[in-house]
Amino acid sequence: MGKMVMNPILSKELRTRMRTYKLPLLIGIYLGLLGAIALAYSWLQAQGLAADGFNPDVGPQMYVLLATLQLLLLAFVAPALTAGVINGEKERQTFDLLICTRLSATSIVLNKLLASVALIILLIIATLPVFSIVYFYGGVLLSDIGKVFLIYLVTALTLGVIGLFCSSLFKRTQISMVVSYLIVFLLLIGTMIITVFMRSAGNQQGLYTDHLPMVAYLNPLFALYSIFPSQGPGMSLIYNIINQGGPAFSLTSQGVALWKYNFICDAVIIVVLLAITIFRTDPVGRFPWFKRLFINKKGSEMQHEIPAAE
Amino acid sequence: MLIVENLCKSYGKLQAVNQLSFTIEDGSIFGFVGPNGAGKTSTMKIISTLLKPTSGRVEVAGVDISVNPGLVRGLVGYMPDFFGVYDDLKVAEYLDFYAASYGIPQAQRGKIAEDLLELMDLAHKRDAYVDSLSRGMKQRLCLARSLVHDPELLILDEPASGLDPRARVEMREILKELKNMGKTIMISSHILPELTELCTHIGIIEAGQMVACGTVEEIMRFSQLGSNLRITLLDRIEDTVRLLQEQASTGKVEVVGNTLEMPFTGDEREMSRILNLLVGQGIPVVSFAPSNSNLEDIFMQVTKGVVQ
Repeated sequence: MGKMVMNPILSKELRTRMRTYKLPLLIGIYLGLLGAIALAYSWLQAQGLAADGFNPDVGPQMYVLLATLQLLLLAFVAPALTAGVINGEKERQTFDLLICTRLSATSIVLNKLLASVALIILLIIATLPVFSIVYFYGGVLLSDIGKVFLIYLVTALTLGVIGLFCSSLFKRTQISMVVSYLIVFLLLIGTMIITVFMRSAGNQQGLYTDHLPMVAYLNPLFALYSIFPSQGPGMSLIYNIINQGGPAFSLTSQGVALWKYNFICDAVIIVVLLAITIFRTDPVGRFPWFKRLFINKKGSEMQHEIPAAE
Repeated sequence: MLIVENLCKSYGKLQAVNQLSFTIEDGSIFGFVGPNGAGKTSTMKIISTLLKPTSGRVEVAGVDISVNPGLVRGLVGYMPDFFGVYDDLKVAEYLDFYAASYGIPQAQRGKIAEDLLELMDLAHKRDAYVDSLSRGMKQRLCLARSLVHDPELLILDEPASGLDPRARVEMREILKELKNMGKTIMISSHILPELTELCTHIGIIEAGQMVACGTVEEIMRFSQLGSNLRITLLDRIEDTVRLLQEQASTGKVEVVGNTLEMPFTGDEREMSRILNLLVGQGIPVVSFAPSNSNLEDIFMQVTKGVVQ
């Protein structure tokens, strides 16, 4: 029992975030959007049903649609939850009070992130009933949905860390918000445009290949699509866009699905950005080796400057 | 308790703190006085491990702040001049959060919060949201917050700033209470007369340098202004001036209406002797007292001219 003590930051963040009307509102809007689109799609399918009879592709198509939509929504929500976490404390003038406690910068940063990720997990779980509509039509494995949710989690974590990093980098929350959305936009759409452009250019020069350029590994949408069966009915539109008239490519490379490469990229981003964020958060630093290497050197230089300035 | 040696802090070209050295003894109340921008807040933030010093050494209870900032954070209770509160927390939760952040076990936190709220006269606001409190209450809550881990050294940056007179008096009473509890306190303030009765030691800082430092009595003695004499008479002003100028212990006499004021270098015995002399000469003395010279005058005198 004694060991089950929750970190104070995590418990405070969860408590204050759950307390306001904002969270139910966020969940409401999120589910409303996702549910409305799912219902609209099934309504459209039902309209066509009378003419064509039962269409076995509806389930997988709706699954791809919902999965894509949910990923885009998460990309919208994750930075919003984290991009004001550190500089927001500074703007509200609570940062000094927090940092002068015995909580380490590592613990502050990680628990702030954990609190945001916990809310994202709540959102993901709240959408499970919407996903269950897919099973009404059939054609999708339960294990596929498990993989999709794993991708959501890793993506949300990565985008959350990007937001957190920006919140430690910029003084103003508005700026860190804008910059993190810009980075997220680059990851989602920028890498896709580059990929399409490179394939298009490659195809024109006759350099046909079924591999995607490395930059595609960064894109969470590609990671998501690499889970779905490539010849499946839901994916034809997306494949057509990326193929650019060239031969069919696969979202696997040397037999390894692209989402695994994506996870490696995400892991690197998470570790590097978290380390920088933690280092920037503690005003006096807790990395003795780093201090010995750089800061003391700088400090002794400054000492020489002082008499000269007088 | 606190040793500061050759402390320097510069922001680019601006030298905020320049070769600052002083010590604070256990159980003393150190008043840290200086004009705006003198480097008070920078110094206090460095001691609280919120700023990295450019050079110099600071030790809190024998712990070097740059070697073990984590340990120092447990020894120091810091109250900044400006601070915010978390909107969606209640008063008791607010204290509980900070107590937990200082690693105090859950079983003890409730009792500590109750005691501190009682001390700060906030017990009736236990379940109020923090942002609904008045400025004075927030200030007291922040002081309570800085005490949750029972720190050895309290660093209070302008705890009375922005308070109305009543809230200021309440804050002063609490500080006296803390003094009686034996806390070592470093307090900065603009309201100097308040420090006179509260502090045991005073340090006056200007342009990042300590211009005067010592016990309140030493500082008073250090300054000639420490003992002005003010005498009010019914008449015979000229006789009195002549008489006073013959005395070795009184300086140049200034006359405003029926009131004479002059620098005075003697002790209480000398003061009594002069009063006897005047009365003995039949001079109608209405009042006879050391004028209300205080830290403010000393401060004005000591810091004069050093700025810019």
